[in-house]
Amino acid sequence: MTRASLRASLALVAALAVGGAAVVGLLPSYWVFLATSVLITGVALQSLGLVAGRTGMIALCQMSFAGVGAWTVGYLNLAEAPGDLAVWILLGGLAAVPFGVAIGLPALRLRGINLAIVTLSFATAFDTILATITYPGQTTFLQVPRPALFDSDGSYFVFVQIVYAVIAVALEFLARSRLGASWLAVRHSERAAAAHGVSIAASKLSAFAISAFTAGISGGLLAGYLGTLVAENFSMMASLSLYAVAVMTGAHFAEGAIIGGLLVVMFPEILRRFDLPQDIGNVLFAIGATQALSTGETMSETFRRLARKLRPARRTKAADATGASLPQPAAQAAPVALEIDDLSVRYGSVVALDHVNLKVLAGTVAGLIGPNGAGKSTFIDAVAGFLHAYEGSVKLAGAALEGRPAHLRARAGVRRTWQTNRIAPELTVGGYLNLAAKGLTESEIAAILGWLDCPDPEVPVTTVDAGTRRLLDVAGVVAARPAVVLLDEPAAGQSHEESVRLGQRIAQIPKLFGSAVLLVEHDMDLVRSVCSEITVLDFGKVIASGPPAKVLGEPAVKKAYLGIEEESVAA
Amino acid sequence: MSRFVISDLSVNRAELPVVSKVSLVAESGAISVLLGANGAGKTTLLEGLSGIIPVAGGRIELDGREIHKARPGLRSREGLAHVEQGRTVFRQLTTEENLKVGLSREAEMAQAYDLFPELVQRRAVRAGLLSGGEQQMLVIARALLTRPKVLLIDEMSAGLAPVIVTRLMNAVRRLADEGLAILLVEQFAALALSIGDRAYVMRRGRIVHDGECKALARTPDELHRLYLGTEAA
Amino acid sequence: MDALLTSAVAGLTAGGTYALLGVCAVFTYRLVSVVNFTGAAIGTAGTFALIALTEAGYPTWPSVLAGILVGTFVGVAIGTIMTRWFAESSASTKAAVTVALLVGLIAVGLRLTGGQHPHVMPELFPGSAFRLAGVEVTIASVLTIGLAVLFTVLSDLFLNRTRVGLHLRALSDRPMAAELLGVKVQLLSLLVWGLTGAFTTFALMIIAPQRSPNFMTLSLLVVPALAAALVGLFRSFWLTLAGGILLGVIEGMASTVDSISQYRSAIPFLVVLAVLLWSQREARWDDAR
Repeated sequence: MTRASLRASLALVAALAVGGAAVVGLLPSYWVFLATSVLITGVALQSLGLVAGRTGMIALCQMSFAGVGAWTVGYLNLAEAPGDLAVWILLGGLAAVPFGVAIGLPALRLRGINLAIVTLSFATAFDTILATITYPGQTTFLQVPRPALFDSDGSYFVFVQIVYAVIAVALEFLARSRLGASWLAVRHSERAAAAHGVSIAASKLSAFAISAFTAGISGGLLAGYLGTLVAENFSMMASLSLYAVAVMTGAHFAEGAIIGGLLVVMFPEILRRFDLPQDIGNVLFAIGATQALSTGETMSETFRRLARKLRPARRTKAADATGASLPQPAAQAAPVALEIDDLSVRYGSVVALDHVNLKVLAGTVAGLIGPNGAGKSTFIDAVAGFLHAYEGSVKLAGAALEGRPAHLRARAGVRRTWQTNRIAPELTVGGYLNLAAKGLTESEIAAILGWLDCPDPEVPVTTVDAGTRRLLDVAGVVAARPAVVLLDEPAAGQSHEESVRLGQRIAQIPKLFGSAVLLVEHDMDLVRSVCSEITVLDFGKVIASGPPAKVLGEPAVKKAYLGIEEESVAA
Repeated sequence: MSRFVISDLSVNRAELPVVSKVSLVAESGAISVLLGANGAGKTTLLEGLSGIIPVAGGRIELDGREIHKARPGLRSREGLAHVEQGRTVFRQLTTEENLKVGLSREAEMAQAYDLFPELVQRRAVRAGLLSGGEQQMLVIARALLTRPKVLLIDEMSAGLAPVIVTRLMNAVRRLADEGLAILLVEQFAALALSIGDRAYVMRRGRIVHDGECKALARTPDELHRLYLGTEAA
Repeated sequence: MDALLTSAVAGLTAGGTYALLGVCAVFTYRLVSVVNFTGAAIGTAGTFALIALTEAGYPTWPSVLAGILVGTFVGVAIGTIMTRWFAESSASTKAAVTVALLVGLIAVGLRLTGGQHPHVMPELFPGSAFRLAGVEVTIASVLTIGLAVLFTVLSDLFLNRTRVGLHLRALSDRPMAAELLGVKVQLLSLLVWGLTGAFTTFALMIIAPQRSPNFMTLSLLVVPALAAALVGLFRSFWLTLAGGILLGVIEGMASTVDSISQYRSAIPFLVVLAVLLWSQREARWDDAR
């Protein structure tokens, strides 16, 4: 992972250096001045891209965070604080963090729309408050001094460029880290993220905090750029239009932030030269954002897709597992991996599970089957901690799991897959495994992927077909080597041959990874071939359990599945 | 006489090919029973037929008119009704209001209450509070009031007591006898086979058996094999 | 004490407007599941049509009617975008679209109305209705609150007594089941957009003379409106109504206390924060995912 981050960062720094040299060396000073503004807007857009693009929430007060940063810089200047602009900018960024966290708190649970309402109302409030308290030094025309080394417009451009590069590289590394993957996962499906042991609260709050920090930095840069500021620099309208631009260009991509900055700064400039009203820009951003939302593809993604097409088509290679070895299987001391006692779940007056008992022995594959609506998915939800309440007890290797939320159960050793695919498509295959299992080496990741015939770690999940994504789901849970994996219909939609091969792999899981398996599946051939014990649910009750050959022949089971009473057919 | 013809129909769910090249026919006065284990693709097929999911290939014709490109609302106005699985009553509306939603000009409320007299005394009750059996009756009656030519029914017996299932099956038989073309999707084979005319069995998205209901009902081992896989019988 | 009461009553006009806008937001959310950030902007467009017409010398009341028509039309236009391209989108994508559209609407609106250029907004309902404990209650405040109540009652009657209302309720309960029964889903959605467009326009016409009638300030009344809707948890019309009025009254009272009067536009933010923190005490999973 780090190698890819390093490569991308180097490319980014090189592009910035070349571009920067061209700007400083070739352009007249007015354009250098504008280019500085492009980069500062780019920083603000990157901060927005983190929240809007990666976590998928609607954040409408980014310029207010920038305002907090800028105000802090102005205040430190007025107070003649020690240090110079570089230090103050950093402090300004830090000052914005508590605001980001406080505003993020109410949006931790429930719909993401709430964040839109909170941030918009914060932006309104900040607007008037800043207009009232005024920018420090505004009335006395006190200028914020630039660092001694970067005093001229040309050299301040270089200063901004360095800051931009540092932030971009840091965000690049973050994006490829497990934390970055968790943002994408949370955006795509909170439950699936929690099932990998990700704390939703920590993930979201960290995104808000880092985003506010970055926005605060952009405000500080602006303070040094313009010298004095007024409240209008950070108006709510500026935040709204920045959001539209971020959605349109895809500000969480390095090029998206730059393109966005160019649009925001250059568009009014061009319109001005043609004597056109400058606010047309916002109309175009609105149209562009709507278009991006309707196609689900930002400008950056379009460019990347087109670029991929231009390049000679690379075959999606399968993971090369030669010489790679699977990680050590987890040692499981307890003889019973999972023990369920008297589990009951009620939804209102409906009893979804009725005193269900089930044991999964360590080192085995057990099956859970039953007709539609029998309660199989409810069972998995209950065990993995996705239900509000249930009666009875769930013990993992002898330890009770009650009272623990889903992500802590996942960390304790209960991993599950989902009937519908919930892998965030923006991840790479390797990034996904990294999210699912902390601390695997690159060769171990390659080995696991090779074992399940999954694609190479560098392959983006978007290009992986739906059937293979289901295998990837399985790869994710086994990579974590938990005490128990719960597989929810892994063979759905697979062809017969594929499902036979998947069956062979599932049978090897206990030995290779040390995890016991509970398989929920409709494909009876698969169940029969891999499970040593099966349990049959019907109307939330266990109607049979034991070895598959015996259980599947029982009249009660045939009846549950076919509605056939042998005698009625005979009659 | 109405004729509902499906040829080479393929439907994907979340990009996965769930139904592949299915061809079948439903005709006025007859019940076509579509059987298959969980996950065979029955529900996906019906959702492709009524337009909930766009079809990936093939044709759907109702009385010679192609309808597979139309929106669900338009297919409904062409005479296709779909009783979804899960008893999709409008929970906040009363029984009577539920029936009124789809009421076409040519239909009368009496037809619904005539088919299921049980609903009469529940007419002012919010549908969310009805029992499972009553909800199932309600959605079938509601679909009937749109005056369809073809009625698709998905898993109407799931989770219901046998005596109610029998009651529903008889009602469905009556609708067919009155001239409706019915495609009945069921997981529980025995009763469906006893009222149906033609039987199809799906497995892994394909039709693997096509024949008379009576014939299939006589060979439970064959059915078991079609459902649960090759080694069961 | 007296001063506080006077200012509280003075906040009623704003409160009534917030209430009506909030109720419209809940109406839109419940029936077509869109959290609409353009709500106030739609009404603002209609209001400025009225201003343009009266400034051009047309008589007031026909201009009011024309303005309401313009508001209805803008509402339907936005509704068309939402139903055509975003019918299947997630709630948060839909909200994001309305945010983007808000940016566009404000830009176009500011351009057409000349930005901060001052406009004369005819006061449609000048004067006071009655005195309450020695305090003048204006006609405008009675009217906005009355309109909000009327909208709530009418929408109740409309939804429960008419065939179209029945279809709308079916649509909001289970959109797909409704469509499968041949309910004209798209047409009904546009009706919702048109209706809320008309009502918000009228509400904004009443409150406009009290605010600086500039396109952006009026459009941003969506903030207190959504705050009110949050008080009703985007479900209850009556709670939203109460929330809107309360918001206006608190703002009015805050304006008399010198030390905080300048910060009174922060009140919706504090209300939103409080409501959200309170309402998520029963934390659960995001239902959709």
